[in-house]
Amino acid sequence: MNAIAKPRPPISNRDFDFFYRGLSERRLLVQKCWECGRLRNPPSPMCAACCSLAIEYVECKGEGTVYSYTVHHHPALPGFSTPHSIVLVELDEGVRMIGAIAELGDPASVIGARVSIEWTRSDDVDSFRFVRNV
Amino acid sequence: MRISNVAVIAGVGATDFSKNSGRSELRLAAEAVTAALRDAGISPAEVDGFCTFVMDNNAENELQRAVGAGPLTFFSRIHYGGGGGCGAVQQAVLAVAAGIANVVVCYRAMNERSEYRFGGPTAGAPTSEGVVAAYHALHGLQTAGAKMAISMRRYMHETGARPEDFANVSLAARRHAAVNPAAFFYKKPITLDDYMNSKMIADPLRLLDCCQESDGGVAIVVTRRDHPAVSQRQAVSILAAAQGMAPGTFSLMNYYRDDISPRDEVALMARQLYEQSGLSARDMQVGIIYDHFGPAVLPSLEACGFCEPGEAKDFVKHRNVEIGGTLPINTHGGQLGEAYIHGMNGIVEAVRQVRGESVNQVANVHNVLVTSGSGVPTSGLILGKL
Repeated sequence: MNAIAKPRPPISNRDFDFFYRGLSERRLLVQKCWECGRLRNPPSPMCAACCSLAIEYVECKGEGTVYSYTVHHHPALPGFSTPHSIVLVELDEGVRMIGAIAELGDPASVIGARVSIEWTRSDDVDSFRFVRNV
Repeated sequence: MRISNVAVIAGVGATDFSKNSGRSELRLAAEAVTAALRDAGISPAEVDGFCTFVMDNNAENELQRAVGAGPLTFFSRIHYGGGGGCGAVQQAVLAVAAGIANVVVCYRAMNERSEYRFGGPTAGAPTSEGVVAAYHALHGLQTAGAKMAISMRRYMHETGARPEDFANVSLAARRHAAVNPAAFFYKKPITLDDYMNSKMIADPLRLLDCCQESDGGVAIVVTRRDHPAVSQRQAVSILAAAQGMAPGTFSLMNYYRDDISPRDEVALMARQLYEQSGLSARDMQVGIIYDHFGPAVLPSLEACGFCEPGEAKDFVKHRNVEIGGTLPINTHGGQLGEAYIHGMNGIVEAVRQVRGESVNQVANVHNVLVTSGSGVPTSGLILGKL
C-alpha cells in the first residue's frame, strides 16, 4: 500500500497555473503586462491599466520589506502547526505578496523588517516562506 | 430617479438566536418571514418579492412555497456574504421604487453555528474567488480572523490604536447585550481584564474581538410609503441604501491597495448614503456598525465620518459609543453580544431605535446609520422616521 500522503495541489486555474509551476522550478513569478509594463499581483487574466491580455513574467528575487503580519493561533490549520506566522511583504519589484515566515522575531520591529525567501516542500507541495534578514 | 424616502420597512421579524436551533434553515426562514409579515400587518399572499444575500441556503422559490407567498415578480440575491445584508434591502428599495414589486421581504436564516461555523478554514472550487483564496491558503492564510488580523495590524501601525482601544468596542457591545434578553450574552458583561486575558485567535484579534457563531433567522418587509398597511407607529423610512466596492477590494484579502484596513469600501458606501439622504454623520443618533470583528469598527467609524481618519481609537474611549455617549453603537449588543445573523439583526435594532422600542433606547432618535460587513464589498442604510 502506498503510505505517502497524497499531494494537495492548490486549487488553481489557467490564470494561476504559471505561479505554481514557477514554485516547482524554484522561481517566484509575477505577471507583467507585455503592453504597458505594469506588474500585478494577485494574478489576473488582463491588465487593469490598459486591458491587454498579453502577459509576460518577472522572476522576483524574493526580497522585500514587511508591510503587515499576523500570528494564527486558532483553529487548527490542516497542514500547518500553530501558532503560524504570516507576513504581507512589499517585494522590491513593487508588488505585495503574502507568505509564511519561519520566525517572526521581535514583534515590535517586524513591520519594516527586511526579508528574503527560502524554498520549501511539504507533503509534495512546493512553496516558499520568508525569513528575516540578519 | 432618487430612492430616498420612497420605501419603508413596514415590519421586522426574528426567530430565537441559539447555538443549535434544532430545526431546518428553511423553517427558520419561514418563521422569521411570517413574523415580519405579521408585524407589518401584511399577508404572505401579498408578497411579490424576496431578497437575500449569499451563503443563504434558502432558495427564494422554497420560501415562496413554504409561506404561501404570491406570484413573485422580483427575486434577487446579493454577493459577498456579510457585506450584503443592507444590499438586499437596497434591492428591495429599487424594486419598490421602480414599481417592479410592492411587498419585498429580505431574509437571512442559517444554522451557521450548528452546521457550518464560518470561523474555520474554508475549502474552495476553482472559481475566480476560489483561486485567489487558494493563492493565500497556500501559506496558511485560511480563516476570516487571520485575514482581518493582517489588515488590523497595519491599521494599528498607522494609527497607534492599541488592544485597549479595541477593547472599548467589545466592552460596549457586552454592556448593551447584558440588558438585552434576546442576546446570547444577556446578563454577561465583560471587563477589560476579561478582554486582555481572552485567548489570541489571530494576532492581534482575541476571542473577545470576534463575533459569535449563531443559528437564527431574521426578515424585513419593505414596501411603498403609501401601502395601506403602513402606519406611523410601525413603519420606518429608508432614507438611503448603498453598496460599495472600492478598487482592490477582495473578500478580506485587501492587501494590494494603498489602504489595507477595512475602510475604503465603507467610505465609498457612506458617501452615497449621505448624498442620497442629504444628511451627514452629525445627523445620526445611533450607529449599527458591523462587528464581525470589534476592531474593524474603528476604521468603519472613520469611514462613515463620525471621526477623522486615525482618531477612532480616541472616539471609542470614555464609553463614548455606549448609551450616554455621543454616538451609541450596536445598542442590541451587536454581533459580539447579541447574535451573528450577518448584519440582519443589526438592521432590526436600527428599526427598533427609530420606533422607540429598543431595550437600550436612545433619546430623540431621528436617523440611524447601518453598515454591513467591512473588508468585503459592502452596503449600508440610513433609516429614519416616516
